[in-house]
Amino acid sequence: MPDMLEITAYALQVLLIIMALAIVTHKNTGTIIVLIAVFSLVTASLYVINKAPDVAIAEVAIGSAIIPLIYVISISRQREFIVLDKAMDDFIISDDAFTGVGYIFLKRFTDFYHLELNISNDVRLCSVGRGREQKLCEETNVDLIVSKDEETGKYLLKGKQSNILMHKLKQMARDYDTIEVVTFKDRDFGD
Amino acid sequence: MIKHVILIAMLLAIYAVFTVSLQDLEQIYQTSADYFREFGVDQTGSNNLVTAILLDYRLFDSLFEAGILLIAVSGIIWISKHDIEEKNARFMLDKFKTPDLFVTFSRLVYPLMLAFGFYIIINGHVSPGGGFQGGAIVATAILILYYIDADKETNIGMIVTVEKFLYLTILIIASLSIFTRGTFFTNVFPYETSSTSTQVIYLVTLNILIGFKVALGLWAIFTAFLKEGR
Amino acid sequence: MDPMLTFLVILIGMYGLSTSKNIIKSVFSVTIIESGVILLFLNLGNWQGGSIPIINGAADLIADPLPQALMITTIVIGSTVTALALMLCIKVFHHYGTVEWREILRRGEGK
Repeated sequence: MPDMLEITAYALQVLLIIMALAIVTHKNTGTIIVLIAVFSLVTASLYVINKAPDVAIAEVAIGSAIIPLIYVISISRQREFIVLDKAMDDFIISDDAFTGVGYIFLKRFTDFYHLELNISNDVRLCSVGRGREQKLCEETNVDLIVSKDEETGKYLLKGKQSNILMHKLKQMARDYDTIEVVTFKDRDFGD
Repeated sequence: MIKHVILIAMLLAIYAVFTVSLQDLEQIYQTSADYFREFGVDQTGSNNLVTAILLDYRLFDSLFEAGILLIAVSGIIWISKHDIEEKNARFMLDKFKTPDLFVTFSRLVYPLMLAFGFYIIINGHVSPGGGFQGGAIVATAILILYYIDADKETNIGMIVTVEKFLYLTILIIASLSIFTRGTFFTNVFPYETSSTSTQVIYLVTLNILIGFKVALGLWAIFTAFLKEGR
Repeated sequence: MDPMLTFLVILIGMYGLSTSKNIIKSVFSVTIIESGVILLFLNLGNWQGGSIPIINGAADLIADPLPQALMITTIVIGSTVTALALMLCIKVFHHYGTVEWREILRRGEGK
């Protein structure tokens, strides 16, 4: 009679190979996170079969909660477009709702590139002076700063020059008279 | 397409080489396991031989592994550091709300997980477990706290400072053996003269310190990520 | 044979690493390779069979505790290295606006 533990080990190994193939070839990153969590559980049971309970405890503790969490956060951050609203008038918010001209424009832009629009009007960030806006863009993760030019009445959208999305935003903003896109000339990454 | 074919051919070549060399590879381990089986418990006082290797025979390895953890945590915090204060940057479109049922269950599970983590740490020398695994479980339990209270503020700098002091303490305790046995990084109590129950004191102390250090390191890591995610 | 099947997992991870177009997918592949390497070490430490390396009374043959002790440290280090890579990935996204390898390399060479 064959050893049941051995059969289980072989079955789990085949399952592991199938799941590794699924993780490598799958397109949707949200599904991959779930697959990674299950993958680490399968490997943990294989560690137990290979007579290593200490390693299995470590794998379960780390692979079940902490690794999926950091993947989820980093992937959700990748779909975001963070806008800092310094204009404080009806460009983005009118009548306490997101119906302004600028909001519709930005929403169209982010929907086109499958991004998630995230607008912040944090008081502490908005109080940063005009000269330090470039530093703010580099130090924090803010992608775009919206402000109003008092003399011409135009709305200025400022962002980093290295960001590929800014070039696409520039092309889209040609149709609008009141919007002007400005890019900072920035230093190399990691200075 | 041709690139994929070449890549798969190369990987298959690696696989063939591995198949040929497997006969030699198999002899690497488990030929010397008899030594650990015969003398391990007497020399280190630990029934769990993995803990015996981590905290006695190869303490040098695990010490610098803990050092690498410290360096990685410092790197993560340095990368995610912002000069301009970004605390409590609230977004108008905040969709991440934890369900009430989840919060209630988290409150029930949190103390149990913390107790389980401490159990794993303290019993590392008789049952599967030890500082590294228990520290990871304690860190997971602390992670649940963030689900209960999403606006919890944590001072990362404080965590890393405590972690550094713990690492220094671990180094000092590990080096104490030069006074009693003449060599660095082994059990303080010489196995020839002291009983097993005396040697256990050293194992439990080092396990607890390593456990707290690992828990603080992982805590700092996911706090940095959660700050990034807000 | 067990190590043969385990080595396949490492090879799948290598395939993913060389064909991935996205930074995040590369990190996923590194995680797979790491799990495969850990499993390979444990297989090699257990090729004769035997019981778990915890001595309570007499034991005939035990799995080698040395690779197990090395692999525990590997898991903890691997998770922190993954976290470091993902944190760099977030920074790269907010700097370049994309996480595709091709775009980033093109922008890095000629502006």
